[in-house]
Amino acid sequence: MAFFGWAGRYLWSAWAGACGLLCIAAAWQGAHEFYGSFILPSPLETLREVAVILPEPWFVRAAGETAIRSLTGFALAVGIGTLTGAVAGYSFAAMRLMRPVVTVILGVPPIAWIVLALIWFGSSGGSAVMTVVVAALPISFAGGLEGVATRDRALDAMARSFGAGVWLRFRTLTVPHLISYLFPAWTTTAGTAWKVTVMAELLSNTGGIGGELATARALFDIPRVMALIVAVVAFALLTEYALLHPLRDRLERWREAGLPWGVKR
Amino acid sequence: MGGQAVKLVLERVGHAFLGRAVLEDFDLALTDGEVVALIGPSGCGKTTILQIAAGLLDPLRGRVRRHYRRHAVVFQEPRLLPWLAARDNIAYGLRMNGIARDLRAAMVAQRAQDVGLSAHDLDKYPAELSGGMRQRVAVARALAVRPDMVYFDEPFTAVDVGLKRILQDLVIEAAAREQFSALFVTHDLSEAVRVAHRLVLLPRRADGTIVERAIAGEPGRRSERAIFALVEAWSADPAFRELFDGRESLH
Repeated sequence: MAFFGWAGRYLWSAWAGACGLLCIAAAWQGAHEFYGSFILPSPLETLREVAVILPEPWFVRAAGETAIRSLTGFALAVGIGTLTGAVAGYSFAAMRLMRPVVTVILGVPPIAWIVLALIWFGSSGGSAVMTVVVAALPISFAGGLEGVATRDRALDAMARSFGAGVWLRFRTLTVPHLISYLFPAWTTTAGTAWKVTVMAELLSNTGGIGGELATARALFDIPRVMALIVAVVAFALLTEYALLHPLRDRLERWREAGLPWGVKR
Repeated sequence: MGGQAVKLVLERVGHAFLGRAVLEDFDLALTDGEVVALIGPSGCGKTTILQIAAGLLDPLRGRVRRHYRRHAVVFQEPRLLPWLAARDNIAYGLRMNGIARDLRAAMVAQRAQDVGLSAHDLDKYPAELSGGMRQRVAVARALAVRPDMVYFDEPFTAVDVGLKRILQDLVIEAAAREQFSALFVTHDLSEAVRVAHRLVLLPRRADGTIVERAIAGEPGRRSERAIFALVEAWSADPAFRELFDGRESLH
């Protein structure tokens, strides 16, 4: 029952999100009226094109390829980044050493990684995955590191006073605290994963939505370019709002309790 | 006071922070069922003694002997887990002690009743509880593990006067009922006189003299008038002067 109440409220809150999206659509329509269909197809034309390409087998295959690559990249980046970040958070020396490393890796533009990945992996899906991992890993790493480093030592002392061992303290104190640091990192990573995958595919011409985008561009098929862009954005939105946000809401229900207007479970 | 079995012994304990001695050759012994108030001006090292006794801090010198099964600590701040409801916070110590989930529920309900929390409050998160309620949850969490030694580290400093009294009475009652020994750190002389059997006054400097006084009568059976008179008398006592001169220790 509580679950349905929560699900209902979550879906209802989508109205606010829809309003924001419709504002973008309005601006888009305005720009379309000004520049004309050849430069910028209207939202409606684009949606029609989306409806046309969605059932086509080539699109399903391309979207599947892109999805698998970005999910693999996401899983690897989040897994490795979180784990190493959390471990580094326990050691001041590792923290000091890794901070500049993270800054350097974040400072290298993803496009440069794509060039390197192309040289190392050739034109295969591997270069897209590697680019996603390298571009997204530092964010998860930083999240894990900050989460562990800022854990509440007062709570730690409290748990030790009850004789809790290292593992129990990690599980009951550090992990819940860590999660609040990891979610922003994960949502950013999820968004980055889609974008970087498409970019890498486009540049390395390795199929997927990026490959289709390159073809559509070569044919000057502007509605199709727009339709593909809309599809990618929709995928990114879906990952974030259908997967990550509900998960976060479920895990962090206690935060809601502290809100001043007191919307309770 | 219960039997005379010794529960906790601190022998010639000394500690220093960054080379500055806060404690030298400190001795203390607590017997079964005895409540000792550790009192002193701020910066005199009373919390350090508590942390050493509770095993949260290793002393640089001296030794600690513990002759009890299990202890619990009530800290100055409630130190509740914000992501757990009050119910699960009270159960936290039990969980750390490996008590099964279905056994915990009944113990939690009992303790919540002991400290005056309603079943309705138990489902709230710490953010939804008032300061006093949170400290009640912290006390319930400590008592839930059935400790035979409880350490109180200025637990009621942050609550208002009326509530302070209620919480003190709660501790006195629990100590009498469950026969645990307790080390009660405070800087409030009337609180010390109210809850303890015996009072240990720490000097501001590590090399000063330690004053020990027994407090007549049982905690909880002393009249308000007697408590007030004793506090009044000790306030005028030169041995207690440091407690009232309001100076922070000079580092």
